Amino acid sequence: MGPPPIVTGVSPKEGPPGTRVTVRGEFLGKSPTDLCGLTICGCDCLLSAEWKSSNKIIARSGPGKGRGEIVVTTRSGGKGTSTVEFRGYHEMIGPMKESAVWVEEAPLRKMWWGRRGLTPTTYQHDDPLGISIEGVEQKFPEDGLHKLFPGGSGDLSSENFAAGWFLLERHHATPFDDLRAGLAFLRRKVDGQKEGQLSFIKSNVGSVMEQLDTLAQLKERFEEDVEKQGQDPTIRLEGAIKESMSEANKLFEEVLSRRERADATRSALAVLQRFRFLFGLPGAIEKNIKKGDYDAVINDYARVMNLFGNTDVPVFKKVLAEVESRIVQLRDLLHRRLEEAPTSLEAQKKLIRNLVNLEVGGDPAWDAISCHSRHLTATMMQCKDSHIAQEQSALEDGGKTPKSSKNKSTSVPNQNTDWQACVPARVLLTEELADAISERFPDFWKLGQAYFTGELQVTVAPSRPQDFKKLVLAAISLFSGLLRAALMPHTLVRTPAAERASYGVWHSKGMEGLGPWLPHCLRALRQAYSSLIRLDLPSEALDIVASLIFDLRLHCMSTLLKQAGESVRQLHTQETWNIQFDGEHGGITHLPAECERVIAEALQLAKDSVLLSEHRETPLLESEVVQRDLNNLIQNMLLGFVEVLDKLALGSDAMAGDSPGVSQMIGSPAIYRVHGSDSVIDKGRGKDKESGPAWEVRLLSVLSNIEYTRSVLLPRIADLFARYQLPAQVGPLASVNKALTELDQRVLDAYLEQRSDPLVGTIEPSMYIGNFNWDAALKPADVRPYVKELLTNLISVHAEVHSISPGLVWRVLPQLVETVAEELARLMVCLDKKFNVHGTEQACADIAAIREAVKVYSTPTAEAFFDEALEAVPRLSDAQGKRNVESVLNNFRSRMKLQLMCFRDPKAPTVKNISNSV
Amino acid sequence: MKKPNQQPALHKVIMVGSGGVGKSALTLQFMYDEFVEDYEPTKADSYRKKVVLDGEEVQIDILDTAGQEDYAAIRDNYFRSGEGFLCVFSITEDDSFQATQEFREQILRVKNDENIPFLLVGNKSDLGEKRKVPLSEATGRAAQWGVPYVETSAKTRANVDKVFYDLMREIRSRKMEDNKPGNSRGKDKSKRKKLKCVIL
Ligand SMILES: Nc1nc2c(ncn2[C@@H]2O[C@H](COP(=O)(O)OP(=O)(O)OP(=O)(O)O)[C@@H](O)[C@H]2O)c(=O)[nH]1
Ligand SMILES: [Mg+2]
Repeated sequence: MGPPPIVTGVSPKEGPPGTRVTVRGEFLGKSPTDLCGLTICGCDCLLSAEWKSSNKIIARSGPGKGRGEIVVTTRSGGKGTSTVEFRGYHEMIGPMKESAVWVEEAPLRKMWWGRRGLTPTTYQHDDPLGISIEGVEQKFPEDGLHKLFPGGSGDLSSENFAAGWFLLERHHATPFDDLRAGLAFLRRKVDGQKEGQLSFIKSNVGSVMEQLDTLAQLKERFEEDVEKQGQDPTIRLEGAIKESMSEANKLFEEVLSRRERADATRSALAVLQRFRFLFGLPGAIEKNIKKGDYDAVINDYARVMNLFGNTDVPVFKKVLAEVESRIVQLRDLLHRRLEEAPTSLEAQKKLIRNLVNLEVGGDPAWDAISCHSRHLTATMMQCKDSHIAQEQSALEDGGKTPKSSKNKSTSVPNQNTDWQACVPARVLLTEELADAISERFPDFWKLGQAYFTGELQVTVAPSRPQDFKKLVLAAISLFSGLLRAALMPHTLVRTPAAERASYGVWHSKGMEGLGPWLPHCLRALRQAYSSLIRLDLPSEALDIVASLIFDLRLHCMSTLLKQAGESVRQLHTQETWNIQFDGEHGGITHLPAECERVIAEALQLAKDSVLLSEHRETPLLESEVVQRDLNNLIQNMLLGFVEVLDKLALGSDAMAGDSPGVSQMIGSPAIYRVHGSDSVIDKGRGKDKESGPAWEVRLLSVLSNIEYTRSVLLPRIADLFARYQLPAQVGPLASVNKALTELDQRVLDAYLEQRSDPLVGTIEPSMYIGNFNWDAALKPADVRPYVKELLTNLISVHAEVHSISPGLVWRVLPQLVETVAEELARLMVCLDKKFNVHGTEQACADIAAIREAVKVYSTPTAEAFFDEALEAVPRLSDAQGKRNVESVLNNFRSRMKLQLMCFRDPKAPTVKNISNSV
Repeated sequence: MKKPNQQPALHKVIMVGSGGVGKSALTLQFMYDEFVEDYEPTKADSYRKKVVLDGEEVQIDILDTAGQEDYAAIRDNYFRSGEGFLCVFSITEDDSFQATQEFREQILRVKNDENIPFLLVGNKSDLGEKRKVPLSEATGRAAQWGVPYVETSAKTRANVDKVFYDLMREIRSRKMEDNKPGNSRGKDKSKRKKLKCVIL
């Protein structure tokens, strides 16, 4: 059995019954006799069908109405189908209409009585309502009428005449008033006919009589005829018709045979055309394959298989085999191209469709998808291998390791020609992997989507969705794993060893210097992530990347904080001891500001890259573990600064520095000398950094810095944290505060020890200089020199402290005063009351002078010691003695006026107040 | 998920142009690889078959309309269903070229869409020696309308496939555009029209 007929064309596509219809298509029969059935709109038209070729049949449409199929049936192919439809409709038939079923009405000949004859009916010619419908072009759709009036008709002479149909058909555009007028007209006409029946006969009596006469005449003639011709008058007629028919046949025979020949030639030509197509096909296919016009090849192939698919002719078979072999080649070619490195998505889809159209076995679409996946994997793996090798060689080269700090700080140097060499291989890997994912993955995913939505017109095996998901997850996991191995190996510790190894083993040394690049890596990764998000991937896949990003952010943040901590710890090398004053806080060095800058920079960097969550990312600080880790890092960073201060004040380097003040203090105002030449400050700035200022000055500077750090820097840093929306770092700040307080105490102690020991130590030798004996004293005229030296030394300490931080004076001097008072008390007690009268007066005057001079800085403990000292001295016996003491004191006040002013309470308004209070 | 074996997409093409320019000849050549020498005026013919368009199986539906003036009144109805138009004239007959202007206007009026897929086709290119319509004039008009111009010969089959495939591609891309979410066809069309007005 050959292929079933298929009708693909009809001309015209609509018409009234009897329309000459040209039906075109394929396999419409091999010969006129092969055609055994033709229906148009369900009406059998075989009788009128004229078989022209296997592509063409001409027939007349039957009385079918509405749209319907054209079905051709052949003996060789069976019942066929059609892609087109024919619409039959019935036309209102008027004298002006050309119609296949038009009944010729011979016009009535002249009337015998010379009168105007009656026309058979007046239907169709005039409108029964007397309304002209000329010029009204629009017609009411006939289908609608059929629906509205099933079985009705608009034909006035029809049995099933439906008035509604008639009106809609002829007058659906006529205005209502006109219709009313028409009704009146019709009524008049009907009335006129009824009452006029009699008058009709009357007025036509002549005709009636004539008719009767004619009938009589007819009868006569008929009888005559019967007499002449016998009973059946039609026999002769029949003979005549037959004769004329055979005459006519003779006349047309020639024409008809010519036409038949023409038809035969035509179909032969068509056949030839087809053969030419067949024999030319192998060449055409090759040409088109070369041109890359696979569609044409496929179309041609489909056509040739239709036409010659089941031929028995050996020559055809041979050619077909040739065609087939080329098609096989094409299949292979297409398959190979599909497996090659994936090209554009559209090109791939086209290839797949071509393959499907070529009826290749298997599942080319799935092959393409898995090839895509393999390729993606291979790209990523290769990327990894090449970069590991690159880093390895860089490490071996040693010098070439990306250490150059210049390049580190400028995050992505682009103009620099050799920057490629400076960028760590892992960063390049990250960039390349991110690019690979954002470029290749979307095509892979879209191809999958096209596959499953049926866009590729292939059937999908039930296990495929699961397989595809696996491929997707595998690709994404690999991406994540490779990046983790390169950037954050510590996050892979729980991964099975084999899997871990597949992500690449990097040399641990390569992690150095990676820190500053992490934000850059994060940016690249985020770009890839956003391209994945746009694809609407299942969240299972997206989450893998999301967690990678989260870990990288965390890692980045800790690295930043660790770096900041390290920079802070390096700050001590930058101390210049250059004291700067601001109104409120006394003198500080630039170190606290440096510390603040380092921290602010780190936070700014963290904020720019890490802290803010982008689309579909987990907020970094939500997890408690993360917060605790970060807190530790922050605390560590801040404690770094405390360590720096500690090192600067009490470190071995610091103490090694010589302190000229200590050795030269005894007996000479050494500090004045040092201060006088401004050498403290000069040395601080000077080229000779190692020596720097005296240790005591350093201690004081550090003390001042500590104070500043506590009162100003820490609150500012807390503000910074708040500004960057890090949760208030209460824990770390408190412990840093504690560490500072503790350090403060130690530094202060060190300073006091450093200063008070020599100061106190000088009192005794100075007191007994020149073999002075309390028991053999002369009448006192002034306080003894040791008092003056003591006060001068105190003044120099005061000056030293004040020059760095006035606030510190209040912490240092009272302590010194206490030790001085204690020493005084000890010395007096040692004498065991061995004073002569003048000795007593002298001692009282000395003690009172000292006590009065340091009054402002005195403490209850100091007062107690002063009292103890006085107690150790025998009581002044008489008024003369008291006067002597008083005069000594007065003398002391006026001579030492300048020195005494140094101990004035800086907050007290005038000098007088002090002297008055004494 | 859609079924993979769905009915292929259907693209509805309408042949327009004066009588005798070769609309039917082009259609029959495209459909059946045959050339009809004798001229039989068309009333309205319908053809439909499957073809492979850029690797995708689609159906093309061709409505071959009447060029003769007698049938002009029924055109409106036919045009309405068309998704793309091949407006054919004969390069050997200037009247048929002038008439394309009217066809273009009627189509724009019925479709109410300036960007309807449309190709201007100069047929009978095999009769070069009898050319009456200069190539420049035809390309000029096409450029003015913003449509492609192609010369064909139904007799030699030159460019016959091209005009049908090119038109189908335009129809397809138009459909894809219209099918974009939030791009309902009706709304879009009126917008297009309005936009044009604003520019003018
Ligand atoms: N030489 C030549 N003759 C052609 C070509 N195309 C059509 N013809 C001839 O032109 C005449 C008219 O062709 P048709 O295709 O029937 O014209 P049409 O446009 O369909 O006309 P209507 O159906 O009346 O609108 C026929 O005799 C064809 O043989 C062509 O490309 N070259
Ligand atoms: Mg025609």
